[in-house]
Amino acid sequence: MSTTVISESNNGTLHPVTAQLVGAASSLGGPITVICPGGVGASDAAKISGVANVISVVGDCFETYDCSAWSKTLSPLVEGELILSSSSAIGRELISSISATKGIPVVQDVTSLKNSFSATRTIYSGKVIEEVSISPPCAISLRVNSFESAADGGSAEVSTVNVSQEVAVAVKQALARASERLDVSEADIIISGGRGMGEPANFSHLNEVADVLGAAVGASRAAVDTWGEIPHSMQVGQTGKTVTPNLYIAVGISGAIQHLAGMRSSKFILAINKDPEAPIFGVADYGIVSTWEDALPVLKEQLIELLSN
Amino acid sequence: MGVAVLLKQVPDTTAKISISGGRVDEGSITKWSISPYDEYALENAIQLKEAGFGDVVAITCGPARAAKCLTEAAAVGADRLIHILTDSYLDSIQVQSLLSAAVKETGFEVVMCGKQAADTNSGSTGPGLASTLGFSCVGGVTGVSIDGGLAYATRLGPSGLEKVEVGGPCVFTFDKGDSELRRPNVRGIMMAKKKPIDSLLPNDLGIGDSNSMVVIKDHSSPPEKQPGQKFVGSESVPEVVEKLRGEANVI
Amino acid sequence: MAYEALDFYDIDSLLTEEERMVRDMVRDWVEDRVLPNIEDACRDGVFPDEWRVEIGEMGILGAPLKGYGCPGLSYIAYGLICQELERGDSGVRSFASVQGSLAMYPIWDFGSEEQKEKYLPGMAKGELVGCFGLTEPDYGSNPGDMITRAEDKGDHFLLNGAKMWITNGTIADLAVVWAKLEGEIRGFIVEKGDEGFSAPEMKGKHSLKASVTSELVFQDCKIPKDRILPSVKGLRGPFSCLNNARYGISWGAVGAAQSCFNSAREYALSRIQFGHPIASFQLVQNKLSWMLREITKGQLLAFHIGKKKDDGSWIPEQISLAKMNNVDMALEIARMSRDIHGANGILDEYPVMRHMANLESVKTYEGTHDIHNLILGRHITGIQSFTREP
Repeated sequence: MSTTVISESNNGTLHPVTAQLVGAASSLGGPITVICPGGVGASDAAKISGVANVISVVGDCFETYDCSAWSKTLSPLVEGELILSSSSAIGRELISSISATKGIPVVQDVTSLKNSFSATRTIYSGKVIEEVSISPPCAISLRVNSFESAADGGSAEVSTVNVSQEVAVAVKQALARASERLDVSEADIIISGGRGMGEPANFSHLNEVADVLGAAVGASRAAVDTWGEIPHSMQVGQTGKTVTPNLYIAVGISGAIQHLAGMRSSKFILAINKDPEAPIFGVADYGIVSTWEDALPVLKEQLIELLSN
Repeated sequence: MGVAVLLKQVPDTTAKISISGGRVDEGSITKWSISPYDEYALENAIQLKEAGFGDVVAITCGPARAAKCLTEAAAVGADRLIHILTDSYLDSIQVQSLLSAAVKETGFEVVMCGKQAADTNSGSTGPGLASTLGFSCVGGVTGVSIDGGLAYATRLGPSGLEKVEVGGPCVFTFDKGDSELRRPNVRGIMMAKKKPIDSLLPNDLGIGDSNSMVVIKDHSSPPEKQPGQKFVGSESVPEVVEKLRGEANVI
Repeated sequence: MAYEALDFYDIDSLLTEEERMVRDMVRDWVEDRVLPNIEDACRDGVFPDEWRVEIGEMGILGAPLKGYGCPGLSYIAYGLICQELERGDSGVRSFASVQGSLAMYPIWDFGSEEQKEKYLPGMAKGELVGCFGLTEPDYGSNPGDMITRAEDKGDHFLLNGAKMWITNGTIADLAVVWAKLEGEIRGFIVEKGDEGFSAPEMKGKHSLKASVTSELVFQDCKIPKDRILPSVKGLRGPFSCLNNARYGISWGAVGAAQSCFNSAREYALSRIQFGHPIASFQLVQNKLSWMLREITKGQLLAFHIGKKKDDGSWIPEQISLAKMNNVDMALEIARMSRDIHGANGILDEYPVMRHMANLESVKTYEGTHDIHNLILGRHITGIQSFTREP
């Protein structure tokens, strides 16, 4: 069974998830082709072990992201019985478009695959694990960091295809940068501070970590009530907002019942508090007994390193 | 001129989902709602109607209970309601062929839907449908306006938030929009009650029976959360960060 | 924290789709707009004007009235509206009850065509606010002996007297005032700008703090002759209004009780003492179970009297039963819920003590608990025991 991997890019370079897609394909067997929209990362893709060949698709149409235009150029060149992409926003759109063109079904955001052929993913925002059976020809998008990366050391051939395709989507204007701070109710990751932060100015340290993670910044009621500088809109808890992020980081928050009411349904909770008896440790998945002054700088540094990869 | 809005009925995001016999127990779901991102699509469509762009046709594909979605859409201003009636589990190709047949029948060139449904969280329908219809697709938009035959959409692109211009027929998939969702009012509710729903079977759209190419094997609950792990001192931070990626996979 | 209203006997299945949609519309509005702001509104002692506007926009004022721009909904729908508003706060529901049942209704039922055309459409939209002037400082349970009087002066009426405990009074554009004309109770529409009329706000309340409560003062208040309600004389007028409001309150109380029940249940499941959630203790379960019982009974009473209102087969005593029972059980539930919350229950983090304080007023207005008791007593025995015969 042959596989075509749609490579993923990140700021002009090959995104590490591409190697994970190749790794997943390798465990299923058969020749693997990587196709690179806009040619981005083609030479790096060729160095992934297990890749038989790389198709670098270039043309003016890749200057702007236009899902249908890109898909029109890529579809005829995608020949695998199995098509894989990452489940990033663009990955999903492209694979949906390409699979529809080919009349083959797609399953998105899969976290594990078994040969012949079942795919597992979560549905209902993670509340249910679903296993489906599906057979090639088909398309599957894989969740990042769910599959082992293929190693380096490959030396595949790169063939370049020049395409010209009319683009219907034109970028007229870049708007406010996407880094405007998210509201707590919308964020996948939230870092919140309590009265243990000492003074409102210290929330700047939380902001820094939030910037690294693309997270929202929240606060406990104690912080909001004590400090006028911390607005009510940041409050998480019984009378603030109820949040269900993937990750909730509670810093200097004791974990009073009213605060827990607002965040206990978070998927994962990391608590940083200098008091080992703080009730927040009762609900935290990962608890670090430490002052925030000691822990936050290390946290920020470690996250920067991990995410720049 | 007008907008076709695709609505999917899903268990309300606050409803408890329970599993019985290896399958999600739909019978135990107490509240069904329009998938949240679809609501933003509907809101934008109604705004376009108010700006004179034409009628709004709301389309849903699902069992009998899905009709409620359409009544809710009518209560906030949808003009025509189409229900593609089917009880079966559908794969992406089946759903897209039914919806595209219904959209073609409207003759509209602007289609709006949520970027992904709250049950499957997939996001295949919008782009797949665009491909089937031969329309362009702009995904993850927060707002769409139409001026002089061109559409302008705000979307989060690869380099950040941007305004794009699109010519020609297009499918827009919605993220949480810029606009607040309008509330229905009593008058809207009472008029919606009287609005007829065009109920169609797949055969009426010229789509024959077929088997889904994706078959559900099992539904299960996520494993019980591991008991919390406690660490002492800032020296443990690197280890915890590793776990956040390796164990929890949240970053 | 998803709001699931207790509905143990599945009243939901008895509702029409329209009734459900109306209920859900109000429920969502309360969730989005009232709950995040109600504690501040109470602390500041204000009824936010935006709520008046938004309630008007929803089109729920004067719910069961037909024509003149009024919604024309079923009484069940009216009840559901009250239930959802009061789950938010009794003061918010009071605004709607007074507007719809006590100010719009008498104009709709007893007013002239001109009066209906002039006032009802604006009131249905919430653009004109009304209030109801019956109670006086010295005449509460005994409205029949009221001393506010109207004199026919040929080309106008002259009103003298004072009303007290009037919801919406200070913000009202018009007041439906009951006064004695030649010894007989008649209804008069007094407008905000009328000479000799003022509506000062009553301050210092511990209850219904997010509601405007006022006095209405008439000092040689001159109103044009066309302001009298032509089609009703005697206490029948005000009592018809009160019956409608009382009906809405019987549902409203269920909403307040549901809110207190939910809070108690969630709190009991989260609060750990002696190593266990307090929801695992028998005494706590006993209380929660009692609450469930009482709410369920109250819902069925309210639903059934709603059906009778819709088919016209009701009598006022049946409404008295529903109002007194449901408010009584709601107040007990609020207290019991506060108890389950422990010390936390006194904070405005939780709605329970606010509901508890509000329900003291709700138990007293629209006919005190004891008055309804005696209404039923009279119905049972044929003997009135409100007053001693001289």
